[in-house]
Amino acid sequence: MRTFKVFITVMILCFGSTLLQAQTKPLSFADAEDVRKTISESAKTTNSIEAGFTQTKELSVIREKIISAGVFYFKKEKLLRWEYKEPFPYLIIFNSNKIYIKDDDKENHISLQSNKVFREVNNILIGAVQGTLLSDTKNFQCSIADLHNQYQATMVPLNARIKETLSEIILYFNKSDYTVDKLVMREVSGDYTRIEFSGKKINQNIPDEIFFIP
Amino acid sequence: MKYFLSLNIVFILLLTACDPVKKSQLSPSGKGSFKIPVWSSPFLKGFEKALFHTSLDVAGKHLSGISIIKRTSDTSFHFTFANEIGMTYLDMEVFRKTYKADYIFEALNRKSFLKVLWSDFSMMLFSSSERKPVRMYLDNESEESVYFFLRQSMYTWINTKEMNLTRLVGWSNYFDAVMINFSEYDAGFPSEIKISNPRIRMVLTFSLLGH
Repeated sequence: MRTFKVFITVMILCFGSTLLQAQTKPLSFADAEDVRKTISESAKTTNSIEAGFTQTKELSVIREKIISAGVFYFKKEKLLRWEYKEPFPYLIIFNSNKIYIKDDDKENHISLQSNKVFREVNNILIGAVQGTLLSDTKNFQCSIADLHNQYQATMVPLNARIKETLSEIILYFNKSDYTVDKLVMREVSGDYTRIEFSGKKINQNIPDEIFFIP
Repeated sequence: MKYFLSLNIVFILLLTACDPVKKSQLSPSGKGSFKIPVWSSPFLKGFEKALFHTSLDVAGKHLSGISIIKRTSDTSFHFTFANEIGMTYLDMEVFRKTYKADYIFEALNRKSFLKVLWSDFSMMLFSSSERKPVRMYLDNESEESVYFFLRQSMYTWINTKEMNLTRLVGWSNYFDAVMINFSEYDAGFPSEIKISNPRIRMVLTFSLLGH
């Protein structure tokens, strides 16, 4: 029985790693540049995105998950409505240089100019949903791998402030329309948050009132 | 030894003088002998884990998000508090007599603040009727029974009809009083918990999302 267990472990170690390598194929510098350009071109023609999302926070130490869900609306250049419906209503609106947060009955107005943390959250969220984060070479070092039907872009922060919290951001781009299917934020603590987008509507008319800050 | 004794007496006198409970709201009750109820923190009775909508106000700053409290052993709990987008603010293990910080967001990483927080959690999670109260009162407003425990210098409010713990008042350290309110009980567990430390202007609220 013990020999059998050892045999199974060795088989998993040998073939498991081969299988993983086969699934994720890092792109050469030239190929990665091509993908980056294509995503960047696609982002230029994306004027609006509307989608649902499911957010899963994985807590490494206690092996628990916190699941939230909602919808988001993005409109060029810098309009974003990020709205949680589950497990409780919570709304963030980024409108140019202002942020509005509604948590239950509490409303909060924040200026992006005076709040560095929110400025970075704004850049990461808008950059991630639009795909333009790939071009942010000032703040991230990027590598791209080829998956079966997605490109996986791993962004390692260079900015000291972002590095304090995040060890990497991984974006999964759909190969058919080059939009982001999934976003994973790995924290320094070992926890990570996965945001999966569904029912994406690209370049549909989104009224400006959606982003109105009261 | 004599020095320590007098120092302890001074501290006890100080604590008594700066009582965190308004005595005008309490009437002495059960003179001589009184029936001691069996009670414990709602986190001790068959508790496994709970998810809360959480907000923390401290020194003028407001943080909100989701937290999870999970019992990890007979003597420990794990507390994680993250913002709505998923970034962790606090990740710590709480034991009765100590804590271990696994991750603390830079802005909260102050030893004095963490000690107060741990002490509050220790009171909220581990308190029970294992010791005998020395005095009993009746709350003039809520008509709940209030018991005073000398050793922990802690007051306990018990709704004797429902046998629920509704309030704990004591000290996080020699200078910081703490008030913990448990309300909106559903199936033996409070849906709302509020921890207040007035001196450091800290209010931590938990609204139950699921357990």
